[in-house]
Amino acid sequence: MNKYLKEFLHRGLMFGGFGPIILGIVYWILSVAVEGFSLSGGQVCLGIVSIYLLAFVQAGASVFNQIEEWGIGKSLLVHFLTLFVAYSGCYLLNTWIPFEPMVLLIFAAIFIAVYFTVWLTVYFIVRATRNKLNHQLK
Amino acid sequence: MKCKIIIDPSREEEILVYAQKTSPLTEAIERLAREEESTWIGYGKESIVPLDPKEVLCFSVEGNKVYAHLEKERLWMKCRLYQLEERLPEEFIKINQSCIANCKKIARFEVSISGALRVVFRNGYSDYVSRRQLKFVKERFGIL
Repeated sequence: MNKYLKEFLHRGLMFGGFGPIILGIVYWILSVAVEGFSLSGGQVCLGIVSIYLLAFVQAGASVFNQIEEWGIGKSLLVHFLTLFVAYSGCYLLNTWIPFEPMVLLIFAAIFIAVYFTVWLTVYFIVRATRNKLNHQLK
Repeated sequence: MKCKIIIDPSREEEILVYAQKTSPLTEAIERLAREEESTWIGYGKESIVPLDPKEVLCFSVEGNKVYAHLEKERLWMKCRLYQLEERLPEEFIKINQSCIANCKKIARFEVSISGALRVVFRNGYSDYVSRRQLKFVKERFGIL
């Protein structure tokens, strides 16, 4: 088996379980905050399964950034598209957003903004650490 | 005394002696075992090389085997990474679950696109610093 595919599955299996835990917390908050909040068994089941798969893909996709044969552009694009398809699919499947062009457009805009904000924040924090460490090496 | 040596490449090497009391023989076995432990031996394709740990850039695990990375070659070590960790001098630091780096042989640090910190050694070999070990690496270099 390709070592990256193996690593994808390994990471997915390790962290996939965190998705349903977070979903459970969100459901609990909603039940406390929203009067009359209730879900059918089917909705809960769909939520748990889809969030598990979402967390699985999210964790596994981090391996794309370590494929040395890929350049920065390809790695980022594949990582971004994988997460976008997984998130939008999960949101639509659970009817957390309606299947309407304008809503999908707004969802995509928010997703892009959040994705690159997080990426840039992490990148610049680690870059600052790198600069300090390289300074100490001299 | 009965003597039995089992050659099994899949087993971790150990010497086990049953004796009713210590004797010159058990003491000699102990001494030999200690000498063997304090010697650093690396195995190449066709060579067995005594190692000076200070010349090693890093020790890494690849496919269940531990390798010592030198400037120009990579040697197989017949021991586990945790066993090395206990015996290595203080310039070595664990940078992730499968790599122990020699701080004095690091060429530079780099940032990967995933936001992970990478260590590049003097021979060009590189490995990443895990989030768990980042704190200890920062401490070692005095930036925490």
